Amino acid sequence: MLQKKICLLGAFSVGKTSLIQRYVNKLFSEKYLTTVGVKIDKKPIIVGSTSLNLMVWDIAGEDDFTNIRSAHLRGLSGYIVVIDGTRQNSFNVALALHERIKTELGEVAAVFALNKCDLKEHWVINHEQIRTLAQLGYPIIETSAKLDQGVEEMFMGLARQLVPENSEA
Amino acid sequence: MDSFLSSICRNINLTAFTRDAQGLFIPCSAMPDWLVFFLVKSEETGHYNLAEAFPYLSCFMQDAEEHWQAKRSEPLASGVWIELDELNQELPLEASIMYLDGQEVLLLQQLGEKYTQDLSRLQQVRNSLLTQEMLESEIKRRTLEIRKREEEIAIKLVSLTSLRDEETGAHVRRIGLYAAVMAKALGWTPEEIDTIRVAAPMHDIGKIGIPDRVLRKAGILNDEEFNVMKKHTEIGASMLRGTKIPVLNMAADIALNHHERWDGTGYPQGLAGEMIPASARITTIVDIYDALVHERVYKNAMPEQEALGLMQEMAGRHLDPDLMKLFLSLLPAMRRIRLEVTEEHEAGSKEEALEEVCA
Repeated sequence: MLQKKICLLGAFSVGKTSLIQRYVNKLFSEKYLTTVGVKIDKKPIIVGSTSLNLMVWDIAGEDDFTNIRSAHLRGLSGYIVVIDGTRQNSFNVALALHERIKTELGEVAAVFALNKCDLKEHWVINHEQIRTLAQLGYPIIETSAKLDQGVEEMFMGLARQLVPENSEA
Repeated sequence: MDSFLSSICRNINLTAFTRDAQGLFIPCSAMPDWLVFFLVKSEETGHYNLAEAFPYLSCFMQDAEEHWQAKRSEPLASGVWIELDELNQELPLEASIMYLDGQEVLLLQQLGEKYTQDLSRLQQVRNSLLTQEMLESEIKRRTLEIRKREEEIAIKLVSLTSLRDEETGAHVRRIGLYAAVMAKALGWTPEEIDTIRVAAPMHDIGKIGIPDRVLRKAGILNDEEFNVMKKHTEIGASMLRGTKIPVLNMAADIALNHHERWDGTGYPQGLAGEMIPASARITTIVDIYDALVHERVYKNAMPEQEALGLMQEMAGRHLDPDLMKLFLSLLPAMRRIRLEVTEEHEAGSKEEALEEVCA
């Protein structure tokens, strides 16, 4: 079985762990529990005719106290940058992380998740910023771990980029 | 390892390994129960592939290899990672490696209480940061609301004079938007850009104090009438002064000085060059542009090229030459405002989009 390492990246409290929990274990908790360190989950999936074992690395959110180690990015096949639509700062952190990965690893498969779409009336990310993201040329998916919205689509959107085109049905 | 050191290792939940020639690890202290669960696969040999048991270590092994090759004795830590034990409970782990007495050593520690304390501390810090972010965002939202109200009040004030002279609501809005584009290009702060967008439309507010016989006179003004007309600058400034509201202070500056000329031949004070506030020099340029290219009841619209030619002739005498150059470089944005902010399109989303451009 093909094994691929993927990472969820983003500012702290954007919902990386919640998205993984929803996808891997079908669970959701309202309570915010910060992540310290790295947690790896495995999720076997099928993309077209290819069986894939996703190694999903949940890396602690980036802030003044926590920096993502370059070692964590080794062997990375793809990544999901998570933005909390209700927090402006998470957009800036997302762009900075994306730039960093491009610098360190070059072009790697990626997806941007605009998370917490259940709180859309409180979103502060504006159309101009979404246009900026779109210009980067990666899929942008609105997600909610709470409502299980866009979560499968987000992971599959990345997984499809990881398998050779002719293996897809 | 002697029993004393073994006891210490056990108490701090630490297991020491050395690496063999095949790259497998041999424990040199007693293995705690929690670790057995992860290493059970290769139990029979007594030599363990730790990177296989703990996938996290796969990303650390390259650094470890370099450290051992360099025979460094100081420890190098892997960073914390979480594993789930046989009871599905989280185990916080960290590995450290070093080169000691000719041996490649790896220490594996279950962080236990130390991790819980660090987690709790970080949770508190992040909760405070979230609260701070939320408050900052609320302040921004409310400030924006206040700005919008200020703008509405300014437009209402200006509309009082519009009832008496020929200026339109769209004209005054455009003046604010053009001025904001100039301010942004000059590198003003977002607050200053917002301020001039609201303040510039009030430049002619003093016309409210000019009698109808002068303000609405169809023909050319005589000297006495022109002197009365000139008073609108000072009337406007005195109407707007005397508060601590930044937007009204800038509006007062603009109202007073928007008929000053770069060469000092303007009114009311005959200021020259940079003695004239930049906000007023900007407003003068955009006001002339908009007046020239739009139709009024007393004149036809001038073709843009002709208007720009005329304005370029005014640069250095009437208008600030540097700001005029900047204005010309921003013509695409100015045209977009001119074409989209019209009487017909007064309300609606287009203007919001333009304000986004100017923000």
